[in-house]
Amino acid sequence: MKKLFLIGIKDLKLMFRDRAALTFMLLAPFLLTIGMGFVTGRFSGRTSGISDIPVIIVNLDKQELGNALEDLFNSEDLADLVEPTASSDPEAARHQIDLDEASAAIIIPEGFTHSIIPADGTMFSADSARPEPVQIEVYTNPSRPTGAGILKAIVDEFVSRVEEGRTSGMTSISQLMASGLLDPQNADDEVRDLFQNVDQSESTAITLKKNTEGPQAVEFDLLAYFAPGMALMFLMYTVSYGGRSILAERSQGTLPRLMISPTHTAQVLGGKVLGIFFMGVAQVGILILASTVFFQVKWGDALGIIVLILAAVFGATGWGMLITAFARTPAQVGSTGSAVMLIFGIMGGSFISLENFPPFMQTISKITPNAWGLDGFTTLALGGTLKNLAEPISALLIMGAVLFGVAVVVFSRNGIMKK
Amino acid sequence: MKKIFAIARKDAIIRFASPSELLFFIILPIVFTFLLAGGTPSGNEDNRIRLLVVDEAQTSVSKEIVEELEKSTAVRPEVLTRAEAQSQFDERRASAVFILPAGIDIAALQSGSAEVELHQQPNNLNATIAERAVLTAIRRVSSSISAAQNAVHQREVKQSFSSDAERQMYFETSLETAQSIQTDAPERVKVVEGTTPDQVEYDPRANSSAGQLITWVFIPLFGISALFAYERQQGTLRRLLTTPSQKATFLLGTISGQVVMALIQMLLLVGFAILVMKLNWGREPLALFIILLASALAAAAFGTTMGTFIKTEGQASGLSIMFGMVFALMGGCWYPLELFPASIQNAVKVLPTTWAMQGMLDLVLRGGGLTDVLPEAGVLLGFAVIFFSIGVMRFHFE
Repeated sequence: MKKLFLIGIKDLKLMFRDRAALTFMLLAPFLLTIGMGFVTGRFSGRTSGISDIPVIIVNLDKQELGNALEDLFNSEDLADLVEPTASSDPEAARHQIDLDEASAAIIIPEGFTHSIIPADGTMFSADSARPEPVQIEVYTNPSRPTGAGILKAIVDEFVSRVEEGRTSGMTSISQLMASGLLDPQNADDEVRDLFQNVDQSESTAITLKKNTEGPQAVEFDLLAYFAPGMALMFLMYTVSYGGRSILAERSQGTLPRLMISPTHTAQVLGGKVLGIFFMGVAQVGILILASTVFFQVKWGDALGIIVLILAAVFGATGWGMLITAFARTPAQVGSTGSAVMLIFGIMGGSFISLENFPPFMQTISKITPNAWGLDGFTTLALGGTLKNLAEPISALLIMGAVLFGVAVVVFSRNGIMKK
Repeated sequence: MKKIFAIARKDAIIRFASPSELLFFIILPIVFTFLLAGGTPSGNEDNRIRLLVVDEAQTSVSKEIVEELEKSTAVRPEVLTRAEAQSQFDERRASAVFILPAGIDIAALQSGSAEVELHQQPNNLNATIAERAVLTAIRRVSSSISAAQNAVHQREVKQSFSSDAERQMYFETSLETAQSIQTDAPERVKVVEGTTPDQVEYDPRANSSAGQLITWVFIPLFGISALFAYERQQGTLRRLLTTPSQKATFLLGTISGQVVMALIQMLLLVGFAILVMKLNWGREPLALFIILLASALAAAAFGTTMGTFIKTEGQASGLSIMFGMVFALMGGCWYPLELFPASIQNAVKVLPTTWAMQGMLDLVLRGGGLTDVLPEAGVLLGFAVIFFSIGVMRFHFE
């Protein structure tokens, strides 16, 4: 066991002496993480989170329903979601949207309320039976489709509530009149009661049961995705770099010398694997630590992070050994390792979230440690703990074990570890 | 001239000695271009908030509710099994889960026993938005029944029914009336799209094609540094001293060989983009050639300068990949430059990748011509002059 560790530690020391390799393993992912931080707005406070959607309310109605809609946008319920400002000039509001100053303008025209609730004394007049429709205008900003869509949904919900109240009131009136229980001549007040609080009608046919129990929401830190994404991508380079050392030692003659020492072949191979594993853990660990120190990345459960790093490096080590087993020269390992690093980087979601890929690509991505590792890092960043990582950790451990087994078979066939 | 050609040929042989070089030369660039063209956000994708829906009822009513949700401008329903939805909810990958349990049908609506569930992550704005969308959908589906139920209630306040049959009859006529009122209801909201100019000029296919072309061509050109280091490590540079070859001949042979290979690689990638991705690269062939050549020269010059600072081939290959990737990302080759803060957009003007990307986008995205790419080509040639000068001055055989 001691020999195993000695070989592993020796390889780790060699890596730390290779400044070029260190630069590539540590500086490159770190710089790319900074770049991704700029792209995602992480450093400028411009995140993709939905809150404080700027909206301009132009209430020209100034009646019950217009005021109710304006109040809704200023309510406590929507305080975090929208940031309303009032205006009395529809043209000025539209111009502000065109200048990208808000996500949408909600223009409630004069007469909106009376198009739904007839004014006093006009309840049963000929005009009130089919009032002229007055439409609320949602003037949207095409460069902010998400915010504009949400604002439109809020208006839709309000209008559907109003419409439900109106339908309910009109149905009751029509039926009562048809039954002879309501006299149009003396029913103005009674009918008005049916239209009272038309904007606050609640559906009785379907009850919505809400459940908001559970842990508090966690704000997702985009760098908690991209920083490990880059670290895992360059981890593939590190494991192939480690694997390359096996072939380099053979060509330099140090491997045969090691084999004639009183050291078992399994110990030598195990030591080399341990060395690769140490290198990977050191690389990812340093990058995670640097991201924590420099960017205050919120990673989530610390124990989960440690176990996940170990599992991800184990899975990647399996790939490193497999690449080495099939290669003939250190240069082949280097070029194949670089290619695998890039292919796994894109397939595993280091550049773009896997959700953007077609389903078959998402399935293929499961062969990469990157995809499983990122899955685990995302779970932790969203507030999950070690117990939520059973699937990615198992997958990574199985991946590492299977690949290592295949590599050992190929090694023995190729006779690389022969004395 | 013959010597220059011989040196260039020798470098090509060394570079393509391993078939794996083809992977980097053409296969990976095409794979990346293709994947990123489909994978990067185009601005036209569905930005609505994902709402997990579990439809265990599988009735016309439940399907109608899901259809109403699909019309929402705020949420995008995704129908899953309860276990899948619960798993995603527990892992906080979904802000809300809407469950339509078995038994949600007309009869349940009529009896008032229909109950649907909405599980929301607490203190989550997306969940609040989802709740509003769900309320709108169930209201739309159930409002006529609610109206009929209310009509029955109003009638009972005034006069009770003599029998259940009369009550049912009243409910059914009320339902017909409500449905008729609903059908005749006018549209009360109109959406007018503003004329806000889109701040991000972006087409995923054009950006991916140009961006990946730059990435995969610049990295090997930066790798000229590795060629110098290789020759230096092998001692062949010293041997050249004993031949009647000048420093300029060696540099010209090495650099021109790499630039020609880069141009071939670029033309292959442009051909792929034209034939497979249907991009209009070939509209202005002269402008295209000028911007490709200027880009290749700028990158080759940077590689030459790098080669005079770097000692080993290992260092050179690692650093050329690192610089290639970082320059590509920061130069807007992977994501639109407009996504970066204004200060960074100004700072990255010192990178050749920024100008190469802008020049190529002038052609393939903005439909520009020769005059449009000349400023970028000029800046790239300026880079080339500066870096070649540094490289030649610092170059030593030993």
